[in-house]
Amino acid sequence: MQESKELTTYFRDFETNLAYYFSEKLNRLLAKPRWIYISLSHQCTYNCQMCGVVNILKDYQISTPEVKKIFDEISEWDWDFTVVITGGEPFLRRDIFEIFKYAKEKAIGIEVVSNGALIDPPMAEKIIRSGIDNIAVSLDGAKEGTHDLIREKGAFRKAVQAIKNLSEAKKKNGSGPQLSVWTTIMKENIGELFDIIGLSRSLSVECLVYHPVIVAQEDMQNTSPHARFWPGTKDVETLIEQIRMISDYQKKNGFIAFLHDPFLWVKHFRGELTRGEWKCNPFVFINIGPDGEVRSCGASFGNTKNMSLGECLDTKEASQARKMMRECLKPCLQTCWANPDADSLSGIVDSLIQRVRNSRVDKGDKKRILSAALAKLAFYEEMSKECQT
Amino acid sequence: MPNLKEVIISITSRCNLKCRMCDIPSGKIDELSTSQWENVIKDACRLGAQTVVFSGGEPLLREDIFELISFTKKNGMSACVTSNGTLIDDRTAGRLYDSGVNVVNISLEGKKATHDFLRGKGGFDKAIAGLKELKKYKIESTVAATVSKYNYADLPYVLELAKENGATTVRLQPFNVIFLRDPGCRKEFLINKAEIAVAGEALENFVELSKKHKISTNPSSYLHKIPEYLSGREFFTRQCGALWYSCPINPNGDVFPCWIEAKNRLIGNVKEKSLYEIWLSERRLKAIRDIMKKGCKGCLMSCYDEAFGDELPAARVFGKIKKFKKLADSRKVINKTRQFLKGALVRSRLRYRFYSSYGGSWQVVLKRKLRGMFAKAGSSRKYPQDKNASLFSEISCLRKKIEREMRLL
Repeated sequence: MQESKELTTYFRDFETNLAYYFSEKLNRLLAKPRWIYISLSHQCTYNCQMCGVVNILKDYQISTPEVKKIFDEISEWDWDFTVVITGGEPFLRRDIFEIFKYAKEKAIGIEVVSNGALIDPPMAEKIIRSGIDNIAVSLDGAKEGTHDLIREKGAFRKAVQAIKNLSEAKKKNGSGPQLSVWTTIMKENIGELFDIIGLSRSLSVECLVYHPVIVAQEDMQNTSPHARFWPGTKDVETLIEQIRMISDYQKKNGFIAFLHDPFLWVKHFRGELTRGEWKCNPFVFINIGPDGEVRSCGASFGNTKNMSLGECLDTKEASQARKMMRECLKPCLQTCWANPDADSLSGIVDSLIQRVRNSRVDKGDKKRILSAALAKLAFYEEMSKECQT
Repeated sequence: MPNLKEVIISITSRCNLKCRMCDIPSGKIDELSTSQWENVIKDACRLGAQTVVFSGGEPLLREDIFELISFTKKNGMSACVTSNGTLIDDRTAGRLYDSGVNVVNISLEGKKATHDFLRGKGGFDKAIAGLKELKKYKIESTVAATVSKYNYADLPYVLELAKENGATTVRLQPFNVIFLRDPGCRKEFLINKAEIAVAGEALENFVELSKKHKISTNPSSYLHKIPEYLSGREFFTRQCGALWYSCPINPNGDVFPCWIEAKNRLIGNVKEKSLYEIWLSERRLKAIRDIMKKGCKGCLMSCYDEAFGDELPAARVFGKIKKFKKLADSRKVINKTRQFLKGALVRSRLRYRFYSSYGGSWQVVLKRKLRGMFAKAGSSRKYPQDKNASLFSEISCLRKKIEREMRLL
């Protein structure tokens, strides 16, 4: 029984990746998003220097019933996805635990990104018991000075204290969400990237994610080398050293979640990254803003106030926006668009074959799965032919 | 300027054998990555190349070789792999089949004892097994031998082996010092003057037998020069086509005008510049002109035996017509022409098959030749225009793969 379940998950992965691949190839909505980001509001405790979100859509708040309506809809999708609650600072919202509770009822996986400013011990306990899957706290430096320079005075201490509170609460409770740290790579902290590993390990964090800075939140495509936080030539040299140490550490201990080859950062900051090396799949990610507008990469698809999320994904504007994204020549290397598993067709098929070969199920089951895979491929072949004509 | 015809990629310097006449593997070099090789192949396509030869080391030691072969095929060129055959088992042959390779070339040096002496114990049996696997999957296979003091007597036997195992061509090539880093060892492989006649006879037998078995091989005028070459004579030349239409690349991406001039005339590295730029660069032209001016000692490498043009069917026809013009008796002319044409038909078929064995079946070669005639360097071929065409070929390839896996279960 266990084994046949294993095979089903293999096939499901295969199916999902195929759907993403052909969606991208044919620009047709064949897949649902893997990541659904919901920005509850753009209000925040800090006004960080590299982040301009606070200044856009200031007066908007997505209301609790609206969020619930979205949850109602997506819980009926037959699809593996994760909802990421961001902001601003999500814990500024009073109804945040109500939202968590509702998601738990609907069996929706939730991740939260916070700056940790509001997480005191009682709040930490509540978060741990709320049934979410992952809580990420941003740490932008290993030293107090760096983090505070980027964010605000005292921010570093608060963030570290928040992580401590969370890990203690988790210990007390016995179980709880994964504790992770998100770090933005920028000019100011480029020499401390490796030290952040040590710091977060000492705080018993379970996972660390790096992502390069976006220069202007309003304009994702802006990767101008003259921007303030953009690493210069010398900084990139430091970055190379840091990446070497980080990837050595990762090989030995895991802990860091790379969604792509970290050496791509170097190319990215030098402005040499091409679309051949980094592909973002416009079907993998969507962001729902505080005004209810569904966006991806700055372009608007539709508003959840007027129609359902499924309809928003299928509008003309969405198709047009995805077409633009496919032709985007300035990859931003953000983690949200990453789905490298679905980048190459042969990769998808090979991984299925490899996994089926290694599993210990009897031959009949294996054959059934492979023939189902064949049928799926034939189905997509038909569809591509149709698209061509 | 003539078009690029074939790119010879030495894809790795690693090898699982340690042959006597070669010490390439002992030098370790950084290898290019898959994507870097793909760029090279793309550029080769742009330059109008028709064939990509994957050589080594032992190319099958690279995990991504199959990927690169299918990439070559996708770009509309033919792919040839030069292997020692020891790694070709059922699985590898299947993967080769899936990748769509045109020709696999396997080295056979002679009888079992000779082969194992030159290439290490057990090599002979594995190479034969490899040939059989290729035959099973109906992949065209050819056999190559490096002629030296040790194995010239075994050559007719190699031909029999090739016939038995379904190879279409036997390609000979005299031992060459470039495979040894220490030129002092060269003497070991050369023959003395007394042996020239014996070797000549062996080669004569070889040619006769090849006609009998209908297996194609190098031009006979080329083959007859091998004994003299092995005794140490040099064949000075100023016009070697290889400089103009072939392009050898080392595992680390170094591009040379030709293997023989390899040691001192680097013309670029594909890591720094694209192959396209290197090929059309002034530096390369200068290097070639230099070599032509000075002349070259002559290598008698088999891949460039087209230089022995008098054996080519077309050249021969023109030569004979000139002779016939001098003959007054018309009846004699008709008879002689008829005889000649009959012979030429058989010979040219064999010859054509030999040249085409690098590039696949004769239909494919003819098509490519015709296309090549109208092509210009640089602008000759474009990438597949239809985006989805490559998608369909990929899908069908993958379906075959899954079906194969199902059969193997």
